[in-house]
Amino acid sequence: MKYTTVIGLEVHAELSTKTKIYCSCKNSFGSEVNSNCCPNCTGMPGSLPTLNEKVVEYAVRMGYATNCTINGVCKADRKNYFYPDLPKAYQISQYDIPLCEHGYVDILTDEEGTTRRIGITRIHIEEDAGKLIHSDNFDGSLVDLNRCGVPLIEIVSEPDLRSAQEAKAYLDTIRGILQYLDISDCKMQEGSIRCDVNVSVMPEGSDKFGTRCEMKNVNGFSAVERAIAYEAKRQMEVLEAGGVIAQETRRWDDIAGKNYLLRSKEDAQDYRYFPEPDLGVIVVEEEKLEELRRSIPELPVHRLLRYRREMGLPYFDANLLCENPDKAAYFEACAALGSCQPKAISNWLLGDVSRILNEKNRTIDDVAMTPESLCAMIALIDKGTISNTAGKTVLEEIIFSGKTPDQVVEEKGLAQISDTAALEAIVQEVLDSNAKVVADYKGGKSNALGFLVGQCMRRSKGQGNPTVIRQLLEKALG
Amino acid sequence: MNLYQHTARELSRMLREKECSAREILQSVFDRIDACDEKVGAYLTLDREGAMAAAGRVDEKIAAGEEPGPLAGIPVAVKDNICTKGLLTTCASRMLYNFVPPYNATVMEKLETAGCVVPGKVNMDEFAMGSSCETSYFKKTHNPHDLDRVPGGSSGGSAAAVAAGEAVLSLGSDTGGSIRQPASCCGVIGLKPTYGSVSRYGLVAFASSLDQIGPMGRCVEDVAALYSVICGRDPMDATTARREYPDFASLLKGEVKGLRIGVPKEYFGPGVDPEVKDLVHQALRELEAAGATLVELSLPGTDYALSAYYIISSAEASSNLARFDGVKYGFRAESFDGLTDMYEKTRSQGFGDEVKRRIMLGTFVLSSGYYDAYYNKAKLFQKALRNEFSQAFQSCDIIATPTAPGIAFRLGENIGDPLKMYASDVCTVAVNIAGLPGLSVPCGTSQGMPVGLQFIGPRFSEERLFDAAYAFQNLRGGSLCTIPELG
Amino acid sequence: MNIDIRHIAKLARLTIEEDRMEKFEKDMADIVAMVEKLPAVENQSLALDPADRMELRRDEIKPSLRREAVLQNAPKTAAGCIVVPKTVD
Repeated sequence: MKYTTVIGLEVHAELSTKTKIYCSCKNSFGSEVNSNCCPNCTGMPGSLPTLNEKVVEYAVRMGYATNCTINGVCKADRKNYFYPDLPKAYQISQYDIPLCEHGYVDILTDEEGTTRRIGITRIHIEEDAGKLIHSDNFDGSLVDLNRCGVPLIEIVSEPDLRSAQEAKAYLDTIRGILQYLDISDCKMQEGSIRCDVNVSVMPEGSDKFGTRCEMKNVNGFSAVERAIAYEAKRQMEVLEAGGVIAQETRRWDDIAGKNYLLRSKEDAQDYRYFPEPDLGVIVVEEEKLEELRRSIPELPVHRLLRYRREMGLPYFDANLLCENPDKAAYFEACAALGSCQPKAISNWLLGDVSRILNEKNRTIDDVAMTPESLCAMIALIDKGTISNTAGKTVLEEIIFSGKTPDQVVEEKGLAQISDTAALEAIVQEVLDSNAKVVADYKGGKSNALGFLVGQCMRRSKGQGNPTVIRQLLEKALG
Repeated sequence: MNLYQHTARELSRMLREKECSAREILQSVFDRIDACDEKVGAYLTLDREGAMAAAGRVDEKIAAGEEPGPLAGIPVAVKDNICTKGLLTTCASRMLYNFVPPYNATVMEKLETAGCVVPGKVNMDEFAMGSSCETSYFKKTHNPHDLDRVPGGSSGGSAAAVAAGEAVLSLGSDTGGSIRQPASCCGVIGLKPTYGSVSRYGLVAFASSLDQIGPMGRCVEDVAALYSVICGRDPMDATTARREYPDFASLLKGEVKGLRIGVPKEYFGPGVDPEVKDLVHQALRELEAAGATLVELSLPGTDYALSAYYIISSAEASSNLARFDGVKYGFRAESFDGLTDMYEKTRSQGFGDEVKRRIMLGTFVLSSGYYDAYYNKAKLFQKALRNEFSQAFQSCDIIATPTAPGIAFRLGENIGDPLKMYASDVCTVAVNIAGLPGLSVPCGTSQGMPVGLQFIGPRFSEERLFDAAYAFQNLRGGSLCTIPELG
Repeated sequence: MNIDIRHIAKLARLTIEEDRMEKFEKDMADIVAMVEKLPAVENQSLALDPADRMELRRDEIKPSLRREAVLQNAPKTAAGCIVVPKTVD
């Protein structure tokens, strides 16, 4: 039998606020163990939480970016369970009234720009737990509480995803939005985005979902694809063998490439949620909501589609440009000048500009070159004032200095010689000293012409206009 | 007269007029503690050095002509569930037998700013769960007026210390009557402030939505002065109200002419000792004679307040006390097999029976399938009860009731019967559920034991309660409390 | 009301000794019977009241505790961390 896989994702993203969600400790990754801790985030008796306003703002912005309804009046709830990484033995989360709900995102399902709409059930704010450190040669586990209270948003999708690839595309979309809003570092290896995956399978054509299993510990974007593929296959095999799927929680082991049972439905935890009595009602005023709604930039998927539609960029270019909001902004500033082709701008940005930034370990933010300068440089090539090769030299000079292309062309004498009279002398010299090659050309070896163009360029110290030289050579050789 | 016998108001005057020093006051209190705490058992931890150093700083300030603070040099005993930086804070539980907080409760910072001196930490029922101080893991506290009787609870140590002259003032905490009931038992004055007027930051939580820290003392002026010191919005406690508070002690006028005092019949039912009722009625007649009007009214929700209280407080407690798991602080069982076993052994050995019962009840009412039938129902009742009080305050300015249904019972009398113990909160819990202020003042004795009169007001009406109590204190010759001999 | 004491105790990470189970069960039954007297309330809702709004905290870093202060009360520590029995999950 053929099966359809049904997937829902719960994405936990760490927010990049300065302080933790419920105390004023620094929110940072990679500090010395137990050094960013206070009575609150270590669950000391008598300590009380105070909610960080930025966490609410960030979450509301994510809600608007995913077309959610915002609950401007909501509350926090306690989720009770015992674990050594949870010092209060409850997590302050949100239960029946999340900050955001009933939204959606459009994901790209192919390079033609086809999109699918994926429902967002809810987005709520909560605190992260600490970290347990295990070591084979130590009898026990070590508890580092630094991560306790790091702000998280949990983004819960509807079970609308139908393949591992779609799940990956969904995650890419979510990550893109988080980056565009500048509210999360989105570093999977640092665990700033983590995922719980709900998977079920049903016979193809059916509209009745199968029993779902939840997979924990899926860290990493590619791990999501592997974990889903594995779990879907496991469930199909159980069904094919005449078995039934039991509702359970399983743990993904990415190194082993398989998952195993964590707990069955009967052992499901009873979290005893109830309203957090240490906090009041969370109220976000209409005015504030409106301000936050207005702050949402154009999101990556929409921008990508627009670049294809309005700028005529291929998917490859549009996708790469949109991956980084700053790069996309730079591109748009260039394109808005209207002085050169979007594709030419894209070529330079994704080509040499990116190469130089990579080599120097810099970002587009560090660039001193104005969009006007980049476009002026491209225009010089278009006009034939400088060669493409000279353009690269100009770029190297202007990218961090802020000089104008004209200045560099002037200083370095990079202007092309298109003057026929000046070039004719060089052409003649080259023809005279390369009699054998000339003979080859005349004998039918047409690629000999390229060699002669190269020789002329050399003699002109790179400044000769290759197009003019070629024309002159062809004319001289008949 | 010894220095420890004076009220804070008198001592403040004597300090300013250089009739005595802060160190002398403190020494007098320590002498009294040394003389009688073996019998009373109010203190769990004494901080002789720290307190003497603090008193010394007050003396230096006075000598230098600096303003030493509104309650400078006044010894204030602190309940052992309020975090004191560097000083043992046990909640009278084995679970926290060795816990030394690395931070101060907000009220401790405020006491320090006011110039108060803290001789030590006082006994209580374990995690403030109880009405007799008998659930303390460490010791029994005895009622200074009859050492065979309990001091009430849970702030029994705070009440006994003030009653015995082992402190001039004290801080307690009140979740269902834990300041007012022991104040009534020990014959002192105790205020459970409006919820949200005193910061809970650093108060080891029992039931977060009901807990309030409050002052106890031997005269109304002192209690008002200490309340003025500790109240106020605290950015560390999101449940504190944003508002300004006056200096309550300076506002006392003792005027009850025209004051409408509501007398709800449910608080004078068959569960309340007839002598207690008589004493409260007698006090009300005196206030009436002084110009107050008595208004008979009904608060039918009172009869169910205890049920709602035990659901809400236990639910919150089950969550608040889950952090005591042997991982980060306090007691950890000695031998165990794995994590879950460590949790279970630590918690089973670290908590006493009463705490376990409340955790169990709270866990049950929040558990899957029972939440709506218990917790939600109790929260709905809470709203209704608040409305009931609001209605009542349309026809009266304050409400007067007995503080407790009887006098302090004998040690061990109720220890085996949780429900009998719970019944001693019957007159006080509604105030917590409704978030109102309640003030208990002594109004006479029955069988030689003090009886308390409780004034209840609308939210943030402490000024009115203090003034009614002050008027009553004046009617009784300017003093409501006596310090017993104690050999 | 029959309460599954063992289940509740497990949720609360408590153990009740067998010889004390009977008394504990009776006490619990009495207490639950007491709280069950609570009548149902009508015409009330638990809808959130914006008047109960809390003030939010500004996102400004304040000093944390020194690590020694974080660990000073822990029953067992090593390598700057709290030590607990080995966990698998």
